Amino acid sequence: MPRLPPSLFWRAHQISPHAPNLLLACRDLPSTALELRWIKDHITTTPSTTTPPFLRLAHLIRLRARGLPLQYVLGTQPFGTLTIRCRRGVLIPRPETESYTLELADVLFRTPTRSLTVVDLCTGTGCIPLQLFASLRARFPSLAAHGVDVAPGAVALARENARQLGPLGAAQGVTFHRASIFSPAAGLPPFPAGEIDLLTANPPYISRGAFARSTARSVRNHEPRLALVPDGVPASVVAALGCEAFPEDVFYARILELCRGWRPKRVFLEVADGEQAGRVFL
Amino acid sequence: MITAAPWVCRSCAWSLRRASASQFMRRASTGGLPPALLARARKVAAEHDQLSAQLEANYDPKVARRAGEISRVATALNVFEKTKASLAELDGLLNSDDAELRDLARDDIESATAELTEVGRQLSVALTPKHPFAHMPCLLEVRPGPGGLEGRLFADAVFSMYKTYCENMGYRARVVKYETADEEGMGRTGGELALQEAVLEVQDEGAYGLFRGEAGVHRVQRIPVTEKTGRVHTSVAVVWVLPSFPTDGTEAESDWENPESDFYIDPAEVRTETMRARGAGGQHVNKTESAIRLTHIPTGTTVSMQDSRSQSTNRKWAWMLLRSRIAQQRREVREEHARSIRKGLILNNSRGDKIRTYNYQQDRCTDHRSGQDFHNLTNVLEGGEVFGKVIKSAESWLVERDIQEILADEEEVVPSGNKKNGGK
Ligand SMILES: C[S@@+](CC[C@H](N)C(=O)[O-])C[C@H]1O[C@@H](n2cnc3c(N)ncnc32)[C@H](O)[C@@H]1O
Repeated sequence: MPRLPPSLFWRAHQISPHAPNLLLACRDLPSTALELRWIKDHITTTPSTTTPPFLRLAHLIRLRARGLPLQYVLGTQPFGTLTIRCRRGVLIPRPETESYTLELADVLFRTPTRSLTVVDLCTGTGCIPLQLFASLRARFPSLAAHGVDVAPGAVALARENARQLGPLGAAQGVTFHRASIFSPAAGLPPFPAGEIDLLTANPPYISRGAFARSTARSVRNHEPRLALVPDGVPASVVAALGCEAFPEDVFYARILELCRGWRPKRVFLEVADGEQAGRVFL
Repeated sequence: MITAAPWVCRSCAWSLRRASASQFMRRASTGGLPPALLARARKVAAEHDQLSAQLEANYDPKVARRAGEISRVATALNVFEKTKASLAELDGLLNSDDAELRDLARDDIESATAELTEVGRQLSVALTPKHPFAHMPCLLEVRPGPGGLEGRLFADAVFSMYKTYCENMGYRARVVKYETADEEGMGRTGGELALQEAVLEVQDEGAYGLFRGEAGVHRVQRIPVTEKTGRVHTSVAVVWVLPSFPTDGTEAESDWENPESDFYIDPAEVRTETMRARGAGGQHVNKTESAIRLTHIPTGTTVSMQDSRSQSTNRKWAWMLLRSRIAQQRREVREEHARSIRKGLILNNSRGDKIRTYNYQQDRCTDHRSGQDFHNLTNVLEGGEVFGKVIKSAESWLVERDIQEILADEEEVVPSGNKKNGGK
């Protein structure tokens, strides 16, 4: 990372005495000014009875200056109409994911049925099924959304996130399962063929090489590798799925295998780029 | 032909138009009010009487609305006629045989004349159609003019002037967008940031009417903090005033979906882009900004928004700003058109002309339309009461201009021969 010129720190200082610290993480003045505003907003909108605001500000800025992603510092990421809780150990939802989730909700909205089933594999914070549920529950009297993740921390966080949908969402509509997608039926109850209206997944898709080369530093240092790089899968499984040449595609191979049994009406998978898309879909 | 603005004297602005002797003579009989305007007021008042009679016989909400709209003209005309009558009475007393009475009349005549002028002004204001956006809340948009850092810094000063003015006045205002530029330059900028674009929403109803006179080019003359030789620079910031909707939104949404409305935008004509840093996205990066850019394809108008952490909120605000900009553009096109068919009236209010100068060395703020100078620039830039006066002067100028425009319309109707010999 190139060193920032001292004049930039001095100009940051003009915005606020805290800004030079933030600049270390934000790298430019406009984002520094924005993040400072968001941190201050966070403090005023979530009052604390124990810590005075100026101490909280100093504390949050210190965490951010160390490179901790803002979403972990503030504990949230807005996602569609929801505010998704974020915690170390669980991947932060991305804006691309947010965009297509809202698009998917629009498409599903026009499905001419009364009931709907959606399944999200590798669900992380649960953002995808939770937003689908929030957008569609008024439209479908019988709506079921399932999320699967292998990480206990992710499943716990997803269940916490379900609470903001109110008792209805938490109690009946959305269910989170702790399982590996490589286990039989991905740990899900049996679905008759054609029962699932939409299957989504944003699985770990970054190759080892790309992880070292093209991920941002705060991603590499602070987000869980398990969520990003699919290299924990046993070699025998990778071989059985025919992914020796491109092991980063192994989750897609497994998901498509699951789809052959479930026969979902629609499948939506997030991939890294056009090349990976070509290998997975063609 | 008239000369272009600025009008120097506000209270008698119309006397500058074709200020010929004959016209002054003619005015004497109309209490200083142009006859065309008076004739129009009488016509409107007659209509009001007729509508009132009609309503008594048969109530119709549509008729009632029209009657309500023009009732202020009828009331103002009534006051005007009464004031004129009492002035005429005083005039008569000047010829009285009683010396004491004559003295009394002479004392009163001056104040009565002043009153008539004021009442006449109120009548003209009543006759001026309200701007269709005047009752709405507004967005104040500030951007630097072309040029470097100094213009950006001044734009920031202008923006904070409006922000603190709203705070001082107790208006409900919020910053919708505040985008600074990452500009190379000196560190010492006196607390001003290099502004790229900022938008303040003033949610009070009628804010558009209060601020519409602020739209235009604002010029600064000062020694920039970044200037080492002490030379005075001139830079500009541009202010746009756009109509907006009350936050409760019910009126807004019905208007947004009505293709007849200025605020209607066909979603198919808008391209939406989510802006990200170049290179890999998705899992590779975890940027906090979720900027959105909308482009209205038919007009090429673009709006970008990244002030909120929430993509949905950015999208919502971007749409709000886009609707406001398009509505304002549509309105301006219509106004320009109307103006261009009005012969002989040249008005200097196009965007390109500076409306105001802020001169730091002379501690002065000049409004070029009202032609007024205001001292105590610090107070102006802090959005204090002097700035309130500056805004007022621009607002009154606009009212005068609107009056000029109906006048021009009225005179169009008068046969030209009559116009030339008019008066005596
Ligand atoms: C890229 S993250 C996606 C999270 C979330 N869907 C999102 O879009 O923000 C991938 C997720 O897959 C989970 N995961 C990794 N290996 C898994 C496996 N074998 N079975 C199920 N989930 C797995 C990780 O814990 C992580 O939460």
